[in-house]
Amino acid sequence: MHIAEGFLPAGHALGWTLAAAPFVAHGARAVVKEVRENPESTLLLGAAGAFTFVLSAIKLPSVTGSSSHPTGTGPGAILFRPPVMALLGTVVLLFQALLLAHGGLTTLGANAFAFAVVGPWAGYGAYRLTRAAGAGLLPAVFAGVALADLATYLMTSLQLALAFPDAASGLTGALAKFLGVFALTQIPLAIGEGLLGVLLFRVLTVNARPELERLGILQPAAVPATTGGAA
Amino acid sequence: MTGLAVDDAAWGSAWRGRSPGDKLLLCAGLVGCALLLPAWPGSVLVGLAAVALALGPARVPARTFGRAVRWPLAFIAVGALTAVVAVGDGGVGWAPDAADRAGSLVGRAVAGSAAVLLLATTTPMSDLLPALRRLGVPAAVVEVAGVTYRLVFVLLESLGTIREAQAARMGWASPRRCYRSAGVLAAAVLTRSWDRARRMQDGLAGRGMETGLRVLPDALPSSRPFVALALVLPAGITALTLVAR
Repeated sequence: MHIAEGFLPAGHALGWTLAAAPFVAHGARAVVKEVRENPESTLLLGAAGAFTFVLSAIKLPSVTGSSSHPTGTGPGAILFRPPVMALLGTVVLLFQALLLAHGGLTTLGANAFAFAVVGPWAGYGAYRLTRAAGAGLLPAVFAGVALADLATYLMTSLQLALAFPDAASGLTGALAKFLGVFALTQIPLAIGEGLLGVLLFRVLTVNARPELERLGILQPAAVPATTGGAA
Repeated sequence: MTGLAVDDAAWGSAWRGRSPGDKLLLCAGLVGCALLLPAWPGSVLVGLAAVALALGPARVPARTFGRAVRWPLAFIAVGALTAVVAVGDGGVGWAPDAADRAGSLVGRAVAGSAAVLLLATTTPMSDLLPALRRLGVPAAVVEVAGVTYRLVFVLLESLGTIREAQAARMGWASPRRCYRSAGVLAAAVLTRSWDRARRMQDGLAGRGMETGLRVLPDALPSSRPFVALALVLPAGITALTLVAR
C-alpha cells in the first residue's frame, strides 16, 4: 500500500523527494552507463521493470483469509542489484500512480524512498549476509525477499509517524500506531512473499540457470575435465 | 483495450489529443491547491473541479473514475483514522482536534488523488514519457521506462493466460497450491519477459536499430484557451478559498 496523493504535508513530500533523489539519480547513472556500454540492456532493463510491476499484480492468500500483493522489489534487488532497483522501482511507482491510482505524484519521493531504496537495500543486505554466513541460495532469497517487503512498510510507518505525531505521545506513540496498522499486519505477508521468492528462484535455477549465472546469482557449473586420448 | 481501465480511459478520452504539457499544468495547479490551501473550501473545490472536468469535457467513464478512486480511498481512510487516534497514559482515545484533522487530511488527499486521476485518465503514458525527456531525464532512462510500459501489457496478458490454465488444473484451490502456482507463475512471467526482450533486441538489431528506440511521437500542439483554463482555474479556487476564509 503506497502513500496516497495529497496525504503528506507539502514539506514532508518535498523532504522525502530530496532524500530519494540521490539514490534514484545514482540508479539512473548506472542505467545510462549500462545502456551506453551494452545498448541491448535497454530491453532487458525494461523487462525487469515490467516484471516488477506485474509481480505486484499476483495475488497471494493471507492469514486473514483475504489476499495481498507482493511488493516485487525483493527478487528485483537480488537479481539486478539495489541501485538499478532504485530507478526501476521509481518507474514502477510512477506507473502504479498513473495506471492503477496507487500512490501519487507528490508522494512519489516518499514512496520511492520506502519501496525503491530502503526495501531493496535492506533485502539485498539480508540476502548477502545470509549467503556470507554460509546459507544456500534459497534460505538467502527467503531472508532477502521477506525483509525487503517488511522494511518497505517499516519505512512507510516511520514516514507517516513523522508527518502525523501523536497528540498525546508524540513521535513514539505515532510510530507505535502506524507500525501496528501497516507493519505488524505485514509480517505474515512478508513471510508469504519470502516463500514466493523461494518458489520463484527454485523454478529459475532449473529453467533459467544461464541467466542466473550471467547475473552472478549462481556460480557457473564446473565443466568436467576431459580425459586424455582414448585408448 | 489494454487491460488496465485507467489506461483504456486515457486512450479513449476526449482530451487524448490535447498537449500533455497543458494537462500537466492544469493538474499540477489543482494538486498544488489541494496541498497548500485550507481543506475547507479549497480541497472541496479542487475535488469538484477535477471530477467535473473528468466526467464532463474529458468524457472519462464515471464507472472507471469511481473504481480507480477506491484504492486511494482505502489508504486514506485507514491512514486518517490512525492519525487522529491518540495513544497516551490513559489508553487509546480521539485526539482533541480529531474531527478537524481527519477532515483536513481526507479532504486534501481525496482532492489531490482526484486531480492526479484527471491526468491519468486523460493522458496515456506514451504521451507523458516524451515530456520527461523535455524535463531533462536522460534518454536512456526514458527508453527503459518506455519499454517497461509496452511490456507491462504483454506480461499482464501472459499472467492472465497462465493463471487461467493453472486455475483450470485446480492450481489455486488451496493456500498451499496458491503459493506453488504463484511461484511458478512469477518464474514463467520472468523468463517470458527475458525471452521477449531478447527476441525484440534480435529483431531490432536485424533492422539496424542498435543504438536507440527512436519513434515519431504524435504532434499534440498546445492550446491557448486550455492553458488559460489551466492558469485561471487554480487561481480562481485560491481566490474563492481566501475570500471564504
